[in-house]
Amino acid sequence: MTNSLLTKQSDNLLFHTFDVTLKPQIEELLSIGKSAGADLIEIFLEKSDNISLLAEQDEISNVSPSFGIGAGIRVFLGKKDGFVSTNDLSKAGLLFALQQALGMLGLDICSKNKDKFAGLTNLKDFGIKKNNWLDQSPGLNESTLKLLEATKSLADKNKNLQVRRASYSRNWQEVLVAATDGVFARDIRLHQTVGINVIAQRDTKRSTSARRYGSSGNPDDLRNWEIEKSADDLNESAQKMLHADYVEAGQMPVVLANKFGGVIFHEACGHLLETTQLERGTSPFHDSINKQIANKAVSAVDEGLSNYAFGSISMDDEGMEPQNTLLIEDGILKKFLSDRAGSLRTGHPRTGSGRRQNFSFAAASRMRNTYIKQGNFSPDKLIESVDNGLYCKSMGGGSVGPTGQFNFSVEEGYLIKNGKLVKPVKGATLIGEAKEILPRISMCANDLDLAAGFCGSVSGSVNVTVGQPHIKVDSITVGGR
Amino acid sequence: MNKFNTNKKSCELNPQELNKLLVKYSKESKIDKWDVGATSSKDISVQVQQGNAKQLKGSQRNSMTLRVWNENNKVGITSTSDLTSEGVKKAMRGAIQACVFGNENDSPEFSTLAKSPLNEIYSSVSDTHTIDELLTILIKAEKQLINTHESIDSVPYNGLSESYMERIYLNSEGANRYMQLSQSSIYLYAKAEEINKKPRSAGGIRLNSNLDELQIDSCIKETSDKLISHLNYKSIETNKYLVCFSPEAFLQLISAFSSMFNARSIIDGLSLMNKDSLGSQISVANLNISDEGLHPENVGAFSFDGEGTPTQNIDLVTDGILTNLLHSEATARKFGVKPTGHAGLGAKVSVSPDWLVISKSGCELDKDANLSIKETRKEFILIDELSAIHSGVKASQGSFSLPFDGWIVNDGKRTSIEAATVAGDILKVLKDIVKIEKEQVVTHQGISPYVWVDNISITGEA
Repeated sequence: MTNSLLTKQSDNLLFHTFDVTLKPQIEELLSIGKSAGADLIEIFLEKSDNISLLAEQDEISNVSPSFGIGAGIRVFLGKKDGFVSTNDLSKAGLLFALQQALGMLGLDICSKNKDKFAGLTNLKDFGIKKNNWLDQSPGLNESTLKLLEATKSLADKNKNLQVRRASYSRNWQEVLVAATDGVFARDIRLHQTVGINVIAQRDTKRSTSARRYGSSGNPDDLRNWEIEKSADDLNESAQKMLHADYVEAGQMPVVLANKFGGVIFHEACGHLLETTQLERGTSPFHDSINKQIANKAVSAVDEGLSNYAFGSISMDDEGMEPQNTLLIEDGILKKFLSDRAGSLRTGHPRTGSGRRQNFSFAAASRMRNTYIKQGNFSPDKLIESVDNGLYCKSMGGGSVGPTGQFNFSVEEGYLIKNGKLVKPVKGATLIGEAKEILPRISMCANDLDLAAGFCGSVSGSVNVTVGQPHIKVDSITVGGR
Repeated sequence: MNKFNTNKKSCELNPQELNKLLVKYSKESKIDKWDVGATSSKDISVQVQQGNAKQLKGSQRNSMTLRVWNENNKVGITSTSDLTSEGVKKAMRGAIQACVFGNENDSPEFSTLAKSPLNEIYSSVSDTHTIDELLTILIKAEKQLINTHESIDSVPYNGLSESYMERIYLNSEGANRYMQLSQSSIYLYAKAEEINKKPRSAGGIRLNSNLDELQIDSCIKETSDKLISHLNYKSIETNKYLVCFSPEAFLQLISAFSSMFNARSIIDGLSLMNKDSLGSQISVANLNISDEGLHPENVGAFSFDGEGTPTQNIDLVTDGILTNLLHSEATARKFGVKPTGHAGLGAKVSVSPDWLVISKSGCELDKDANLSIKETRKEFILIDELSAIHSGVKASQGSFSLPFDGWIVNDGKRTSIEAATVAGDILKVLKDIVKIEKEQVVTHQGISPYVWVDNISITGEA
């Protein structure tokens, strides 16, 4: 017997093991909800086991393991929904949460409804081959040694790297999804990220540089991390930016590098193609299906399928398998990303995009691996085509307004003069609006590459991949000094 | 009628039970020294769309961070949301394993103030409401806001929430902290569109410990007034301008560079300041900055920090001089001072401000005493709110480049700026302040007057 310190109940945590043996108990809960009059009830159960580590200079300064349990129960009635999350996975705790979610929609467990629940399908177990992932991924000892190797490698690169930090996070998650439409699915997810950052200092000049790498479903990812290559890349960036002048503001053509350069497409366009935005009436593309919204050079996809990519999933958080969703083809808008609620409210079919940070969020339409497809040009051709502009080698973060206005900082930038990179510049911000910028992406190179990132939105922070080849934007506002 | 509410009785933490378990498990594991921070919360929130409920949410959440010291005085921690006896036992095992990797050169200790008397705070626990009551209030607010102007077509982002929270800190030397608070908030972010113009948006937020006292009407008015003022917009030229930061914007800027006052950041080399900066002039001489977690307007104030240290008010910049830093136990020990009540809880303890208060000191006259938000006729840029703080600020370098919402003001007439960014160096900004207005304005994130700075780079699209 366990005693919950929260509810003071004495109750076995019946929902501590996520497998087919839970089926009768979950069916009982769903049945109770269905007979109360709900159109659909969904139960999401989650266990997590995470570690995060930080190495600073040549010491491990923080080791933070954490683990958790929780459930999210969502009830739909018409186009409305009520959602309740709880840490209490006892039968009584889940029944209480269900009762609360039903109550939000004015439904009562006592009420009778003729529309009976037909039962769950057989368990679709996407996690069956992943049960050993937690054991196969590096333990604390191995992980800390790897981080110390990274900070040591940075120290060897240059003595002016005054701050050297390396971090590692391993997030393991086991989920079970069951709903009154019969969905009954289990999955195990393993995400690992490594971040390294430095501050270089010479006299009164300082520069900061950072890189992040991440993978999904690859227990060996940290072991295979090419530390020397990462350290070389980071050091080179920090040294170059140490001597950078502030960029002069103005309108100019810009070449955006591949990998994390795709963050702009993700933020400024991708979010506007989620049904979450359509529901709010804030997407300028709401009536643009089969219409030209971008330059013909642009085709873009969102998928959850690429091997080991950070945004890949075997099933979404509503139990649906992911798809390769073609968003834009030759500049023409083809599809929106939709989850269960989005489909209900907008009519766009589900795309396996219902995602959430954890049990405490209701799923929403979210991106997975989102990227502009590659074109035929070499990256050099893009640079050569610019007389006077900016090359954005490394992008920082940014934000996008509710109707598509965006701004992104450039971490590592270079002025382009007469088709050649001439000098590093700092302090640049790219400002624009998706609807105006998409038609100005005139060239796509042949070097598509992806980068891992975290995306924060209505259903919390989820792992995603952004990406693109090198692209050229004919004109954009560059903020500077 | 649904009955879902934040009934506090159903989520009480049980400190005695937790303490009993930790004493038992630590004894079994031969651990003599431990401390724990735990929280339990219950929230309800509603969102609406065009007069209907869009999403109704509720949550019951709990979490705990356990810290143990092994025989070599190395510290390990584990966090969990599983507050069952099994969960607590597993957390103890995890923390003991993590001890092996504790940093013996920078090991935290118990706060010397973990058992000191707590200062009085103004946070309170109010009566709860049902989700139906919240829904009715928000639907009404949405309707009122849309009706304020014909161009306002929707409130795409909105929410009304009520929460109740309990927090405890216990340690093996008998420290025993407990507090509870309630909080409610509303945010309204509306969209307006006029023919042949771009859609414009603006928002407002209000917090209070009691839903019945939440200033919903003023939130509606602020959102509507701002949005209407942004309907007529224009691009501005890239140039250097006289800028007036609104209280919200100036607080955003100072908060983004709060590592200047953060002892942890200074030790780690991540701050613009260093150990010798205390006592140095970092701004114009008539600027004061303090951190006042105990301020009566600080809704949701905690009476103790993650290490059990009482929340305190502390002067950071007085007459432009850096006078104090924010500390945890470990940083205070290194600086030879007492902890200030700004710590988290961890193997490496973070430090952060509570509630920044900015004011004008009487030390020196303004460089341009004639400037006034209400009366100045010459051209200036009024920055209302900064965006993308997380990406546009280089805190360790002092530079920033941030998009903003605001107006160009000429002869007292405000015209909305279509899109622009402001860029500069924080230390230069602090020294280029030409006027700090007397009147302080309370915002949801602190208190500040309007602050004028000359010669700031603005990038526009004209």
